[in-house]
Amino acid sequence: MEFLAWLEQTEFSTWLRESDWAHPIVLCFHAVGMGLVVGISFMYCARVLGYAKSFPLAAFDQLFGLAWFGFAMNAASGIVLLMAEPRRMPATPAFVIKMVLIMFAGLSLWALSRALEGKRDELAGGVPAGAKTAAIASIVLWCGAIVAGRLIGYTIGPPPA
Amino acid sequence: MTEADILHWIRDTSLGVAVRQSRWMFATGETLHFLGLSLLVGGILIVDLRLLGFLRRISMRSALSFLPFVIIGFVINLLTGILFFAADPMMYWPNPAFKLKMFLILLAGINALLFTLFKHKEALALGDDDQATTFMKVSAGLSLSFWLVVLLLGRLLPAFEGSTSFL
Repeated sequence: MEFLAWLEQTEFSTWLRESDWAHPIVLCFHAVGMGLVVGISFMYCARVLGYAKSFPLAAFDQLFGLAWFGFAMNAASGIVLLMAEPRRMPATPAFVIKMVLIMFAGLSLWALSRALEGKRDELAGGVPAGAKTAAIASIVLWCGAIVAGRLIGYTIGPPPA
Repeated sequence: MTEADILHWIRDTSLGVAVRQSRWMFATGETLHFLGLSLLVGGILIVDLRLLGFLRRISMRSALSFLPFVIIGFVINLLTGILFFAADPMMYWPNPAFKLKMFLILLAGINALLFTLFKHKEALALGDDDQATTFMKVSAGLSLSFWLVVLLLGRLLPAFEGSTSFL
């Protein structure tokens, strides 16, 4: 707690909160990263659920590189946003819920890739039911993470005394 | 009717009044705007990256089958965008980030229209390893650039509130 209070009053944290441009620019990175991670995940899940069966699942490998890039961008910009409000943010339920949902969204994509292992080359062939469940879970979890993320701004409280 | 009259009229429509009075409509609109953004970005990446030659061994036809997600995402964002605008037209209209964003959406639309009118059929014939023509690649590059800047301007829009020019 003392560390968080110290972090909050560092020059960098103060600058993040008080500068006119720092916050919007960090949010820009966060929005682009979201588009890459969630957008590519949605398309992948749609494909797993049976959409565009002529599109080879293996072709997503190149897009995953881009999705990981987006994820790295959002981890970095997310840490910067957290550093701006190191005490208020962890005390906001929407923030904690968002982190948990992102963790489970990641896990669901990992489970999805496990379920598809060795079966990706069969094109129109049946995708295992487990993979479809993981795909639906991942869509729901990303939607939840976006809802929770948007709620942070509306529900963040005053700095704890 | 002057510009101010039109903006007042939009602000006083039942939609504008409802959004301002509601506790949740604006926030829900923002959340949907993010989901729409993700659908648009995900779909357009597949189409444009295939045209640019990054996704090899995929027929253009199967890449283009993700286009409906782009259209659904765009419609969601158009509708939620109208909702935001109706809530506070006086803030959006003079905002330079808003003006530039709308202009770039128009350019992205014209770019997509030209592609659909003149190149769609030719593109559908591209097989697994076929390269797109230079015209198609330029169109895909422009499309990605326009949508990236549209996204950035949307996120920067509140920071330009009250200003009438960039910087």
